Amino acid sequence: MKARILNHDQVLTVVDLLRARGYEVIAPFCRDEESRRDTFFDVVTDDNRAHVRVHVANPFYPPKRYVLPHIERLFRIGTGSGTLDIQPTYEHPKRAIFGIRSCDVAGLWHLDRFYLGREFRDTYYEQRRRNLFLVNVVCSDPEADIADECFCVCADTGPAARDHFDLQLMDLHDGEFMAVAGTPAGESLFSEAIFRRGTAAHVERRRSLLADVRKRFKTTTSWFPATVRYVSQGKILEKTWEEIGNRCLECGGCTYVCPACTCFTVTDRKVGPDEIERVRIWDACALGGFTRMAGGHNPRKAVHDRRNRRFFRKLAHYFIQRELSMACLGCGRCAAVCHGDVGMPSVVEMIRRATGETERLSATAGEEQP
Amino acid sequence: MSAGAENIYLPKLAVLDRVQDEIAEVKTFYWHFEDPEEQRRFGRFRPGQFAQVSVFGTGEFPLSLPPSPTEGQTFFTARQVGSCSGALHALKPGDQFAVRGPYGNGFPMEDYYGKNLVFVAGGIGLIPLRSCIIYALAHREKFQRIQIFLGARTVRDLMYREDLRRWEQSAGVECHLTVDRADPAWKGHVGVVGSLFKKPGIEVPVDNTIAFVCGPPIMFRFVIKDLLNMGLPERCIVSTLERYMKCGVGKCGHCCIGVAYVCVDGPVFTYEQIKKLGEDI
Repeated sequence: MKARILNHDQVLTVVDLLRARGYEVIAPFCRDEESRRDTFFDVVTDDNRAHVRVHVANPFYPPKRYVLPHIERLFRIGTGSGTLDIQPTYEHPKRAIFGIRSCDVAGLWHLDRFYLGREFRDTYYEQRRRNLFLVNVVCSDPEADIADECFCVCADTGPAARDHFDLQLMDLHDGEFMAVAGTPAGESLFSEAIFRRGTAAHVERRRSLLADVRKRFKTTTSWFPATVRYVSQGKILEKTWEEIGNRCLECGGCTYVCPACTCFTVTDRKVGPDEIERVRIWDACALGGFTRMAGGHNPRKAVHDRRNRRFFRKLAHYFIQRELSMACLGCGRCAAVCHGDVGMPSVVEMIRRATGETERLSATAGEEQP
Repeated sequence: MSAGAENIYLPKLAVLDRVQDEIAEVKTFYWHFEDPEEQRRFGRFRPGQFAQVSVFGTGEFPLSLPPSPTEGQTFFTARQVGSCSGALHALKPGDQFAVRGPYGNGFPMEDYYGKNLVFVAGGIGLIPLRSCIIYALAHREKFQRIQIFLGARTVRDLMYREDLRRWEQSAGVECHLTVDRADPAWKGHVGVVGSLFKKPGIEVPVDNTIAFVCGPPIMFRFVIKDLLNMGLPERCIVSTLERYMKCGVGKCGHCCIGVAYVCVDGPVFTYEQIKKLGEDI
């Protein structure tokens, strides 16, 4: 991968360059100076360009919606002409996301594997994804970038993404940024005058900064691999799932903010006298109606069955092998939004405590036997 | 991209030809695709597969395919339970709707050549099994004994009457019916479907046998117990699972049980697999 250096005060020029090349650029903003956690992704315009934030808390509403809108029209169905007329409606904007964090880059890659892998390719996702340009910004400022709940170091997705971006920017905190190209499209930007060649000292500075940032995370969930093993082997007791389920309020918030959740429902709605549209809407396995069939039979009745489902889907070996990535990227959003404190880090901890305990007990019982 | 050539969610227009009453709230809908090419392509479905049916303005839902590919007909049998099946029931001959599919693995009928086939169905569980039964009878020489055990709540709940009459009269198949509650006119067996296995004169082959079981969850559990007690191995019992589904192609996530997507990895599973999935039937 090629790398270049640019000046700190020219980093937003990357936004301008992309806009000049015809991209609609999405970037993170902050609602106001005081509420530093109230951040959001929005389209960059001439008016708000100066307010784009490089160091910013990752917005709760993930950039996933630019490839999978939370409500997306699939078809327009005309009913006026005597015969039904089904017209698929595709959107394939030339779009760039500036300032996407490493966890969310990994999230998009997970969605790529899921929607575009295997036998059936999702046309709508593919169309939106094809021209999407990703400018990853490495979380290098422990104060501004890293929230209390972040644990990408444990999910091995950050703080600096290793792949799946077009361009990666990292603040070297000495008046310079390092830019790394991940694709030929990203590399093509290096012909611009703002980029210059770096030195071995720049590389070393990047390395030492990252080594330092990795120590600044407040949430660590080092029991991921053990939890993956426990979940995959079905070792987690029903009682533990019940404990987790008892704390779930079934609000669906965790799935709404998750950059790796893929489930959706499909519904029709009337939009005019002679027109119906079919839309797909984000759905959540946390919700009771998710598996309820016509007639009322629901194979997943209890709340803890649904919690079990969510964590099984995210952590079981089978899915990791099939989608080539764990469906948790350590962004910490679920931990931040969950009212019952059963986001991923807490669940991993609860499973560690309960299952580790059981394993120890059975090991001791084994020793006592003659 | 050409409009929808590879769009996995795009259904194709179909026309309802005629509707036939089966039992209370259950009707059979005969239909065909407007595009003859699509009709030919779809017609190569396997027994046990399903389709996604769209009634625009209401939504889309999965339905089993009761016809056998050997019949050259396309139809659905549906009970009126929810909004989509309700909208389907409201359609009149000549009305348009849309279908996409066929989806799912289906029953691997070729793997069952040379075996005894035992079909056990309860109520509308006969809908997906009808396809296999017709298919097996169309390839009668490929199989050993064929037995059908069919249970219904009352005489009025016995569906596919014409087929039943044919099967009862056919020499190549042993067809046994039972009802939970008889009316005075009923001369046949009374009791749950599992009680047929113990009826004098009935002998269910255990070696080299595949048992197809479909029906309500409670019937499923009891029949499985009976079959296992008779000595049938778990891998020789097959069924098709039903789940809420929105896409049919492994994306929407609703039908996922344990590690399996019912829509692409199923809906046909052996009892050995169903047990491992670890969720209610």
